[in-house]
Amino acid sequence: MKNIVIETQDLTVYYGKFRGILDVNLVVEKGEVFGFLGPNGAGKTTTQRVLLDVFPPTRGKATVFGKDCQREGVAIRKHIGYLPGELALYANMRARDFFEMFEYLRKDKKSNGYWRELAERLDLDTSRKISQFSRGNKQKVGVVAAFMNRADLLILDEPTGGLDPLVQKAVLELVRETKAEGRTVFFSSHILSEVQAVCDRVGIIRDGQLVATRRVEDIFAQRMNRLTLIFEGSPPSEAFQMKGVTELRQGKRSLTLEVKENLPAVLAAAAQHQVMDIETHNVSLEEIFLAYYTGDEGGSYD
Amino acid sequence: MIRLLVQELKFRRGAILGWGLGLCFFPLMYIGIYPSVAEEMAGLADLEIYQAMGMNLGTFADWVASILVIFLPLVAAIYAIINGTGTLAGEEEDGRLEMLVTLPLPRWQILTAKALAFSISSAVIYLIVSLVSWGVFKAIKDQIETSLTGQDLFLGVMAGWPLVFAMGMLAMFLAAFCSRRRIASMIAAAILVVSYFGSNLAGSTPVLEPFEPFFLFTYLDSSGSAITTGQAAEDVLVLLGIGLVSFILAVIFFQRRKLTVGAWPWQRGQN
Repeated sequence: MKNIVIETQDLTVYYGKFRGILDVNLVVEKGEVFGFLGPNGAGKTTTQRVLLDVFPPTRGKATVFGKDCQREGVAIRKHIGYLPGELALYANMRARDFFEMFEYLRKDKKSNGYWRELAERLDLDTSRKISQFSRGNKQKVGVVAAFMNRADLLILDEPTGGLDPLVQKAVLELVRETKAEGRTVFFSSHILSEVQAVCDRVGIIRDGQLVATRRVEDIFAQRMNRLTLIFEGSPPSEAFQMKGVTELRQGKRSLTLEVKENLPAVLAAAAQHQVMDIETHNVSLEEIFLAYYTGDEGGSYD
Repeated sequence: MIRLLVQELKFRRGAILGWGLGLCFFPLMYIGIYPSVAEEMAGLADLEIYQAMGMNLGTFADWVASILVIFLPLVAAIYAIINGTGTLAGEEEDGRLEMLVTLPLPRWQILTAKALAFSISSAVIYLIVSLVSWGVFKAIKDQIETSLTGQDLFLGVMAGWPLVFAMGMLAMFLAAFCSRRRIASMIAAAILVVSYFGSNLAGSTPVLEPFEPFFLFTYLDSSGSAITTGQAAEDVLVLLGIGLVSFILAVIFFQRRKLTVGAWPWQRGQN
């Protein structure tokens, strides 16, 4: 039986008459790193805030560790480390006082000064006041606060925002270590390379609706080829109407196809016509996600 | 909750010191100068303009009550409004409250800790001012004619705190109810000003008399007897009651508040 950490059923949030999220059905299993992707305003932060009981859903249900997020929010939050996307800190505190306060408020024996090790790894000077920090250093404070209690579930809203590449790498390493320890990470990001680097599965949200949930490896396994065939005469587009092949564009003498499967059949069909030239290139991960973001996926990527 | 209360009190250390020392200006200045203005003030005792402002300057007790019992809560209520609205709506708007509510703490405990922190901090501010009042009085006692003791003065000044408590809780309730801190602060400030002038003018303006029970300052005696015999127990209870009811309402509305959204209560469950 699967060990489910997060589950949402028809989760819907409205802000007055404005849509936040609509009928989001999502399952995140124990020990996986789940990437939550979508353009700005798609509903990523809203979903995370419902999971943390910052506000209740208008409709539907969300559970974490099998417990209802609204009714048993306190019990759930004992096992969550959270990094908000819009990080706000107590500016007049020194970083180490902030971590000690968090440790103290959580009454957490598991953390036991772990923040010191984390701060060292991220090269954060905890003796300085938070108000003196750059944006990147403030983000480090948020990252340390999220990881410091070794939570069973980490909810990270764009954790590497504002960080330099070296620290980004360190944060992704922390995510990998969390996964290696069997803990779960719910991770929203815009940086596809880091999603590719650490996530097991991704959910893509657009206009408040979850449009796809896929394993990252499946996305790569099904990466499409894009072929442009140049013919001597008018392109015989009907010859390429086959499963897994989508016609993207037809020119006077050219035909551009997106080939998800049946590549040998496409080449065989091409050989039966007077093909002058073939240009090929891979569809990048960015293009796949952008297709989801803009709603142009046309079913080809599902 | 105790841990959060300790933290909230730590956050208010600077405010306690700043407001406490700042408000000591009142006793240092107004009690300190009394020996030199006593005769002059006695002559102004019946001026209506002073009565409209809740002031009666005839005796030392009247003078102290007019300044410390009435003006001190009026100024301290500004701390109450800043603190009451800032600690909820203010922290919500700048995002710090989101960090707090995502810790394993129930919301009612967060609000209770903040309310207690405000109550204790405002009481400590009052304690500082009351002690300084006592000290200044000791210093000038030989120069004036009065039967008051330092203890009378201390208790008389401290008795203004229930109004500050009521105002702080009212501000907290408004912060949990209103969509924005700015709106909550404006309403709280309006209540304060209207209460102050309404209560003082109601005595001399019959048209305002029916509204007198609705003004907070009605429950704060600003005559010399406030120092000599203390505030009426029922008035103190009314102010504490207003504070407690406001706190309960604040808990109810904070519990149901869609944090980070900034909506009014009637917008919070809309489809």
